[in-house]
Amino acid sequence: MEGNIEILKGAIALIGYGLAAVGPGVGIGIVVGNAITAMARQPEMAGTIRTTMFLGIAFTEALALIGFVLFFIA
Amino acid sequence: MDQLILASEECDVVNEVICAPADVKELFEFTEVIFSIGPLGFTRTIFLFFLAAFVVVGLLYFGLRKRRMVPSRFGVVIESLLDFVKNGIAKEIIGPEGARYVPYLTAIFLFILVGNLFEVTPLINFPITSRMAIPAFLAIVTYVIFVFIGFGKNKFRFLLDTVWPKHVPIGLRWLVGIIELVSIFLLRPFTLAVRLFANMVAGHLMLTLLLGSGVIFLSAFPEIGLKALVGIPWFALGLGIYLFEIVVSVLQAYIFTLLSAVYIQSSVHFEH
Repeated sequence: MEGNIEILKGAIALIGYGLAAVGPGVGIGIVVGNAITAMARQPEMAGTIRTTMFLGIAFTEALALIGFVLFFIA
Repeated sequence: MDQLILASEECDVVNEVICAPADVKELFEFTEVIFSIGPLGFTRTIFLFFLAAFVVVGLLYFGLRKRRMVPSRFGVVIESLLDFVKNGIAKEIIGPEGARYVPYLTAIFLFILVGNLFEVTPLINFPITSRMAIPAFLAIVTYVIFVFIGFGKNKFRFLLDTVWPKHVPIGLRWLVGIIELVSIFLLRPFTLAVRLFANMVAGHLMLTLLLGSGVIFLSAFPEIGLKALVGIPWFALGLGIYLFEIVVSVLQAYIFTLLSAVYIQSSVHFEH
């Protein structure tokens, strides 16, 4: 068993996915937080802001999704 | 139900506090052929795939069969869904040209919506979009559409301006070009498919784990006595997640359609 990292593979992949989720987590927080501020200041623009917010979330999410896929591939 | 039985055989209710499925793949892979038409065997996934398509066609047919000045209640729901895709997504994102893409966007929106909602439909309980083939196919269709429109409307400039963007300072141009090239032609379809797939897999796993554990522990009450109360928080949490998953299903269908519209828009108006 010495030097065999096969048994640790799942755990390492899990840590990798956790790290990949940190950045997008912060990013989505910033996106949604600013969208809420914008909606509170200008409620009449809420529709446009909401659409743009979902777009921002979708683009920010991409890195976490790549991490998710690598977790299954690893 | 067969998933639950699958988990209960493996679950050690005496020693464990939650029933994890032994092999995650078994929750998503149905290899057993239910029925076959000629040489084509239908597994559960393929059957649900066709069911989703028929449900969409049926909804549209029965919702719009009689166009009246004052539509029925069911007709109002269908019409407002169509209006949402037409005005809320196509016209708002793509602009006046968006009318051409309304049929495609409506089709993928309704199909993904029905496919996702299968996750929380009693007796079906399986989102067909959690099999990679289906989101991947839908993403490839969107990819083909926006690449063809890009080349059709802008000719070769579509590729040239992506690799060599004129509005960027000359020193950084090659770097931005590479990033744009990879992002448009590789990452766009990939993330579009994986976003839907990952959300549905995660939701289906959570529901199976929590509701399955709850039911198994509570039904094991005669054998393990008071320890069966462990099932109550799992079941309660599972019901909470159940409601959350309804929101996620609708939201993911919306986001997939919205991003398809945005990608088409970036090809239609390609002027940085």
